[in-house]
Amino acid sequence: MAPFKPDRPARTDAAAEFEALLRHHVPALYRLAYRWTGSVDRAEDLVQDLLVRLFPKLTELRRLDDLRSWVVRVMYRIFLDDLRRRRASPVQPAGLDNDREDAEDADACIDQEAEPPAMVERQLTQQRLLAAWQNLAVEHRLVLSMHDIEGYTMEELAGVMEIPLGTVKSRLHRARTRLRQLLAREHFTEADRV
Amino acid sequence: MKDDRPDPVVARTSDHPIVDPSLEALHQALRRMPVPELRPAFVEHAFARATAASDPVPLEPASRLSGLRHAFLRWETWFGVTLGAAAATAIAMFLLRPLAEPASVPPVLALALHETRQIEVLIDSDRDLPHAIIRVAVTGGVNLEGFGEEREIDWETHLKRGTNLLSLPVVARTTGAAWLVATIEHEGRTRRVAIALTVNAPEVSRS
Repeated sequence: MAPFKPDRPARTDAAAEFEALLRHHVPALYRLAYRWTGSVDRAEDLVQDLLVRLFPKLTELRRLDDLRSWVVRVMYRIFLDDLRRRRASPVQPAGLDNDREDAEDADACIDQEAEPPAMVERQLTQQRLLAAWQNLAVEHRLVLSMHDIEGYTMEELAGVMEIPLGTVKSRLHRARTRLRQLLAREHFTEADRV
Repeated sequence: MKDDRPDPVVARTSDHPIVDPSLEALHQALRRMPVPELRPAFVEHAFARATAASDPVPLEPASRLSGLRHAFLRWETWFGVTLGAAAATAIAMFLLRPLAEPASVPPVLALALHETRQIEVLIDSDRDLPHAIIRVAVTGGVNLEGFGEEREIDWETHLKRGTNLLSLPVVARTTGAAWLVATIEHEGRTRRVAIALTVNAPEVSRS
C-alpha cells in the first residue's frame, strides 16, 4: 500500500478569490513599484506590503468597479508613507555634501529653450535616459511612470494621487521639463568627458 | 503558466493622444526603459504571505525593516543584543548634549511643556556603515516631532566614516519623565543610547 501522503491543505476560498482578483495586476504593479523605487528589493517589498494590506479588504475589493486605480492608490499611499519616513531620516554626515546644490548650479547653466525637438531623439539613448531617470525627483517619477509609461489618464492620476486635475497637469508638465533638462545635462556631461 | 490576458495597464496606454514628436520620442524611450523581471516564485510567495492568516488584518511584517523592528520589541532580545554588542562592536556611538548646551551636561534633560527641542546624537564610526538600521523610540510625555503619535520609528540609512549627526526633534506633550532611546544596528551589531528627559510645567522649566 502506498504510504498516505496528505494533500497540501486546501487554500481558503477567500485566498483563492483574492489571488484571482489581483494576480494579473501584479506584474504591472511591480513595474510601477520598480520605476518609483529604482530597486527590485524595494519594489517587491512594496508589492508585498500592498498585498498584505489588501487581503483583509477583500470584501471591499469585490465591490470595486475600478480595481486597478483603487489598488494603485493604496500602493501610492504606502509608497508615500515610506518615502516620508525616509525623508524624515534625520541622519546627516557631519560634513554635508553639496551634490544637490551642484546639480542645481549645473541646471542653471542649461538653456532650456535651446533644445530643438529634432535633438531629443538623438539624446534618448537608454543609458542616458536611465541616468536622467535616476536623478529625477520622486514626485516627477511618480507622475511620469503612471501617465507617460503605464498609460493612466490624468483623471485617474488625480484620483490616485488625490490632487486636483490641474495640479496633475502642471506636475506632469514640470516632470517632462525636468526630465528633458536632465537629459540635456547628461548629454552635456558625456560630451565633456570625450 | 503564462497569463495570456492583456496587461490591464498597458492595454490602456492608447488613451493618450500625442502630437508633439519630441514628446512622442520621449514617451517611447520611457516605455523602453528596462524593468528587471520579477524574481521567480515572488508572486506565489507574496500571495501566500498575504493570505497566510485567514483572519482579516494579518499585518505581519512584510518588509525587512519591519521584521527587525519586531525583534527589538522583546526586552530579552534588546538586553542581550546590547550586552553582546558592547563587547564586540566596532561602532562607537557617543551620546552628546543638545547644541549650545554648556559642557556640564545635566543628567536629565529638562524641557518645558510644549517645547520642541532638537536633540543631537553623534555617531562616530571608523568606517562606512551601509544599510545601518536606526531605530528611535520615545516613552513618556514626549513625541518625535513630525511623526504624529508614532512612538517608534526605524529606517535604513548609510552612515559615513567619521562623525554622523543624528538630529532628533522632540516635542514635550505632557509633564513628567520621558525617555528617548536611539539604537543603531549594523551587520548584527547593535549600539544603544538612552536619554532621560523630564517635561516640566512652564514655570519650573529651564530653557
